[in-house]
Parts: sequence; C-alpha cells; structure tokens
Amino acid sequence: MTRLVTLEGATFTYPGADRPAIAGVSLELAAGDVLVVTGNAGAGASTLLLVATGFAPRVVGGTLTGTRRIDARRCGVVFARPWTQLTGLCPTVRDEIAFGPASQGLPAETVLGAAERAMALLRIAHLARREPTQLSGGELQRVVVAAVLAVEPEVLALDDPAAELDPEAADALYDVLPAIAAAGTAIIVATPDLERAARVATRALALAAGRVVAVGAPADVLSGTEVAAMARAAGCPPPYPLDVPALLRRVGQ
Amino acid sequence: MSGCEVRVTGARYAYGAEEALRGIDLDLAAGEQVALIGPNGAGKTTLTRLLVALRRPSAGRVTVGDWEVAGKRPDEMARRVGYAFQHADHQLFARSIERDVAFGPRCLGRAAAPVGEVLDELGLRPVAGLHPYDVPAPVRKLVALASVLVMEPRVLVLDEPTAGLDRAQRERVVAALRRRAAEGVTVLTVSHDLGFVAEVADRVVVMREGRIAADRPARELLYDREALAALGLRPPATAEVGIALGLRGSPVRTSEVVQAMSGIRWKQMPE
Repeated sequence: MTRLVTLEGATFTYPGADRPAIAGVSLELAAGDVLVVTGNAGAGASTLLLVATGFAPRVVGGTLTGTRRIDARRCGVVFARPWTQLTGLCPTVRDEIAFGPASQGLPAETVLGAAERAMALLRIAHLARREPTQLSGGELQRVVVAAVLAVEPEVLALDDPAAELDPEAADALYDVLPAIAAAGTAIIVATPDLERAARVATRALALAAGRVVAVGAPADVLSGTEVAAMARAAGCPPPYPLDVPALLRRVGQ
Repeated sequence: MSGCEVRVTGARYAYGAEEALRGIDLDLAAGEQVALIGPNGAGKTTLTRLLVALRRPSAGRVTVGDWEVAGKRPDEMARRVGYAFQHADHQLFARSIERDVAFGPRCLGRAAAPVGEVLDELGLRPVAGLHPYDVPAPVRKLVALASVLVMEPRVLVLDEPTAGLDRAQRERVVAALRRRAAEGVTVLTVSHDLGFVAEVADRVVVMREGRIAADRPARELLYDREALAALGLRPPATAEVGIALGLRGSPVRTSEVVQAMSGIRWKQMPE
C-alpha cells in the first residue's frame, strides 16, 4: 500500500514549553491503515496527530526535529473540540460540509456530491438544513467529521472523535472507519476508548510522556479494556481477556 | 424522609422551530444520584440549563428547593446549583487554575471555601499555577468540575463530566461524586458513558426527542439488555460481565463485579 506518512525519531516541542510533547517517535502510515493512538491525558496523542498531518509546527508553531515525510496531497484533522472547527460562515449544515470542497474550486455537482456522501456516511442527512450553531454537542461532532471527510483527505486524523457522541452514534462512527481506510485513506485516531478502538484498529500505538511505549497488533497494545481490568483485579492470570467472550473462555468449571 | 430538591413540571423549550423539550416532568429527591442519558439531540443539555436559569422554559415550571427558578438570575442560581458545562472552555477564564477554582467562592465572599482540598481531590495541585489553556483539554474539564465543587452546592448538575478523560481521571471524578453523594448532595449527571453511570447513579432517566422515555433504577435498567437495545444502547462492561457470568445481585459497579468474581477458578492459558 502507498506509504503516506513517515516519521523517524520525531521530537516536537510547543512554543515556550520546557520539554517535548512527543519525543523520538517513529511511525509509518499507509493507505488502508487504521492506527489507534492511546495514552493518558497529556501523553502526546493529540500532538502526534498534529505532527503526522503537518499541522505542527506549521500552524501551531514550536520546533520539530527528526525526519518527517508526508506524501499525501490532503490531510484532514478532526480536533477534539468540534465547535472550534466550524467556519462560522455557513447558515446550514449542508453548506458547512460543502465549504471545504467548494473552497477548492470544484464544480458545484462535485461539491454537493461530496457533501451528500459525507452526510450519508455519518448518518446526519436529517440535519442538513439545521443551523450549525444550534446543534447539540454530539450532532456537531458528526458534522465536523463529515466536513473533513468531504474534502476527501488521504490522511485523516481524528482526535477522540466520539467523545461527545451517544453510544449508537459512536459505534456508527467507528464502524465507517474501515471502509474509509479501504478506499485508500490512512486513518490515525487518538482515543481513550479502547473497546471501540480495538474493533477497528489495524495497528495500535501507546504513548506515555511523549514516548512510544508499545506499538503493534491491537490485541497486544490495547490490553487495558474494562473487562481486562476487572479480570486482572479478580485474580485472573495473564494474558488478560479483552472482552466478555474471551473472559468466558477463561472461566473454569 | 428527604423531600423533593428539584422539580420540573410540564417544561417545554424550542430553538426557533426546533422543539427541544416537549413537556418534561421530573422530580429529584434530596440526595438522589441521577443520570440523564439519551441520544444526541434528545434535549438533555437543554433540560439541565433550565435548572440554572441559563434557558427559560416556554411553558412549565422549575423549582429548586423552595426557589422558583423563573424568578432567579443564573448568578443567584449558582449559589444553590453547581453547573459544569459540557465544554469546559465555556467556563474558564482566569490566569491560573487555582484562581479559576477560587473565583466563585471569592465572588460570594466565602473565605473558607475548600480550594486546596478540591484541587487535591481532582489531582490538580501540580498544575494549579498554570494557565488553564496550558494544560490538556481533559485537565481543563477537571478544572471546570473543581470550580463547581468548590462552591459546595446542594445540587450538582454535570454535563458529560467524563468525556475525553482517561481512566485515572475518570476514577477521580467517580470518587468525588461518591463523596458528594455521602454528604447528601443531589447530583444530576448527563452522560453517554454507561460505565460511569453504573459507578455513580442510583437512578437513570432516559430522554428521547424531547421527552422522558424511561425512568428506572440504574441496577435494573443497566441489566435490561432489551430495553437498552431499544434505546440504541448496550449494557456497560460491568453488567455485560455480570450477565455473562450470572453474577448474583445485579452488580453494576466495578468493585461489586470484581468482588462477585473473586471466587472464580481461572483456566491457565497454554504457553
């Protein structure tokens, strides 16, 4: 598959910070990947998304050392705070989602087609005529994801994209990621939601204090699910079962 | 016998032509721990805002204790009801985290407010001198919660207090709410996180399309797979484990489930 992002020993420090937010991170992202990045708050997951998509230091300032190569024409980032990402210029959700492709000067039918596809994927067609500022937090989060998808990015970074979503909408959002990746996009998701992440990830990476502490198959890296935590606390020997079916297989007669 | 602390009667609210609340009746008894769940756009946040006079119902009535909310301003309501916004950035503005947390009590002239205790409780002491916007978003969320807890309100209304938090931060919030519950504070928590709901709530109110669709004890609803599925939900991991293992007493809190699992003989996995 096409390699779209390569980091080698990437170390990034925010302006004025006395220590790097990520340090010595090496990473490859190719079309078809769904890479889940996890770690405690402040571990550097959000920063890694910004670095991998070129937003840091270009937009946020700071210094980047190491090697970074981005071979994607378009990178899209869905930030953790969706309301900061609205254009503030669009009276309806459809206009908001069409804004990205429209600003690329594409023909009107292409723009509207991209907007409709993105709304269908995120199951928000019913919101098309609503005013963006009057949406609930979860509705807004899906609108912002759709707006980024509408520009058809080759690298899609999602920062805790289901934080505001109800469980059904969160499942739906995670469920569309493999199809988006299969269509030729590299996806990188930062999230503390290990259960949903484990369902869709092709690879996982865990950060602590800005450094990679584990990288590899999701089952190896995302071992801190709630079921695993309960099994561990109840005396189950490792490897800890990640979900209920695995737990049942470990229960003796 | 504890009386009714919060009463909402026939409340309606619309954003332009969009009806967000279509006649809500809800009573919260003093000291009750209630979770408010439901799909995005169901009206949960709108309902909570009626309780603190941030929105005025177009019909119906809201009372908190012996106060008619209709006659109060939001700053008056803040003396009795602590409200943590879904988006913490909407309520942080001071130059340091400590000043932000101390702002409310200072405005009310409460010199003895437990600023330090609350900072410790939520693990914020090490960052107390930093600007709120120099810490990660989940930490800001805890700062917003701290600035509400420090006011020691009789009623707490929390909108998605654990969204984006890691496990350790979530556990601090759970512990803080359990402490308030033991002190008799009435808590209404909006959340999509049924695992968190299982840890802190005794009763769950479900909203859908501006109406109350269900109102049941947490232990009962969280084990009712069919009722949850009808609402587009699954039981939390604790109840999933409880159902799968046939644990007695419908344990919903992690500690209860671990306790109930403690007699299990585990199969060793082959090397």
